[in-house]
Amino acid sequence: MTQHGRTIWLSADYHLPATYSCRLPFSSATSAQVAPAPGPASVRLALIRTGIELYGRERVRNDLFPWIRTVPVLIRPPASVALSSHLLHGYKIDEKQENHPFGESLLLREMAHAEGELTIYLEVPSSEEAIWSQMLMTIGYWGQTNSFATCLRIRQEAPQPQECVMPLQAAIQPIALSSFFSCILSEFRDSSVSWEEIDPFAPLGRTSSLKFDIYVWPLRMTKQHGAGKMLVRTPLQA
Amino acid sequence: MIQSPITIYDLSLNVRVSWQAHSLSNVGTNGSNKLMPRRQLLANRTETDACSGNIAKHHHAVLLAEYLEAARVPLCSACSQRDARRAAALTERPEYKEQTLEEILRMCGLCDAHGFLVTAKRARAKENQETEGNREDEETDRHRRSKHTLVDFSFALALPDRHAETSQLYTRVGDTKEEGQMLMKMPSRSGDYARHIRYFSVGVGVDTDKWQVIVHDAEKRRARHIAILSALRDSLLSPDGAMTATMLPHLTGLQGAVVVRTTVGRAPMYSALCDDFVAQLQGLAGPTCLVYPFEGITSFNALMNALITSSSPCYPASYQPHDQAAGVNTQNEG
Repeated sequence: MTQHGRTIWLSADYHLPATYSCRLPFSSATSAQVAPAPGPASVRLALIRTGIELYGRERVRNDLFPWIRTVPVLIRPPASVALSSHLLHGYKIDEKQENHPFGESLLLREMAHAEGELTIYLEVPSSEEAIWSQMLMTIGYWGQTNSFATCLRIRQEAPQPQECVMPLQAAIQPIALSSFFSCILSEFRDSSVSWEEIDPFAPLGRTSSLKFDIYVWPLRMTKQHGAGKMLVRTPLQA
Repeated sequence: MIQSPITIYDLSLNVRVSWQAHSLSNVGTNGSNKLMPRRQLLANRTETDACSGNIAKHHHAVLLAEYLEAARVPLCSACSQRDARRAAALTERPEYKEQTLEEILRMCGLCDAHGFLVTAKRARAKENQETEGNREDEETDRHRRSKHTLVDFSFALALPDRHAETSQLYTRVGDTKEEGQMLMKMPSRSGDYARHIRYFSVGVGVDTDKWQVIVHDAEKRRARHIAILSALRDSLLSPDGAMTATMLPHLTGLQGAVVVRTTVGRAPMYSALCDDFVAQLQGLAGPTCLVYPFEGITSFNALMNALITSSSPCYPASYQPHDQAAGVNTQNEG
């Protein structure tokens, strides 16, 4: 994938058949808050993962990765999302004690349930539409591996930016943001992120490939039900 | 029904299962004498009963260990003792410190199927080198070794208008005589639940991070595959989870669809909370996406047995048979 040229927007609609959990950055694994849908870095990492599955590591590293790290990504959340907090029982080994005894502790994890489809928009080279479509089609989960997703269709369609998650600093028009759901999300640091920086098998001590920002979702909170939250998609406009 | 041998790249089970009088998954007591059921807020603004997928996954792993042992598929020493940490439980033992991912996947069918994670760790000697200068404690870096699970379970979510709960009062004796008798309230729940399970069959014997086949021998891969499918069948036909010693559920219904992707790609899933989920899945069927609907436990059992008899796991898209010659000696594969 070396030729540039005309680009097109591809949109991929995902049905989320069960509960799912995309953990927020800086949120502890033992007390995990979640985003209503995956963030930009999660989308790029999912493309890398499925790219390796489809085309092999060498081709992704050499041909696809330079594009994956730079293509514009926009994410439109489902029409409504419910978040519930769950207490889970976890076991942890105490490695400092002899015989490494188990200790039991309570973990907190939010789980989301959605109605309507999650849509991912990518601006890709038109000559490579088939490759990107196949990668998008092959993504089977977002976040944890049990956060199932089924890609229902892929078509050429430009996004409506006000219906997509955006960094707070990009929301330049005067919008009453207080009722919209916001959270920290991760994105690739810049277009110079190297393969070694995102490779989990690279030597320890590499630099961070991600940057973190506050993002605003086009989702208004309409109901607080105990520890649960109900979010409904509403365009980000004045 | 399945007419001829098929290869499975990815498989999904989309089911509605009916359980009566169960307490398979709970939140805990929250410090009170009442056991709380698990609840999930749905996007249609109703709150419904839920059962976590964690306990279902543990149940599958226990069943799978038995099937693998019966099929003479080797297990590592941690999995032989049903240690849920799997290969990660062995990392501190001197004899396993240098064990590679390839060795783990060859020598343990359960680590291969349910996955494990050994995190990377810098050697203590390196961290302390400048301050302590203690060379006796020298160690090497621990490298990350991991395998993604091949079997994933969703939460089981009760259909909002088709579940009920009864609070049962129990007596129990405290830990000591002085504590006397305690009263406990425990929920007994009944309903129709939507559950989804994915089995990523192509990943059997494969390092799914680098997409390298480790177990090349087709028969050895198939032995693991048969054990995984057999345990999946049993985990739905013989439910297990919390409180089953005294509240084993009555299984009163099972319907849905098994979807098989025969070449590269995902087996679709569609929420079984929707009444038309089987029709939706049938609408996605094609030459490489086979949809097998079933009604009732007999039909499900026959379908799973046919898959066990007639299917084998796919090799990855990039796999070339000559990789085997350039790779490992298959005599050492588990």
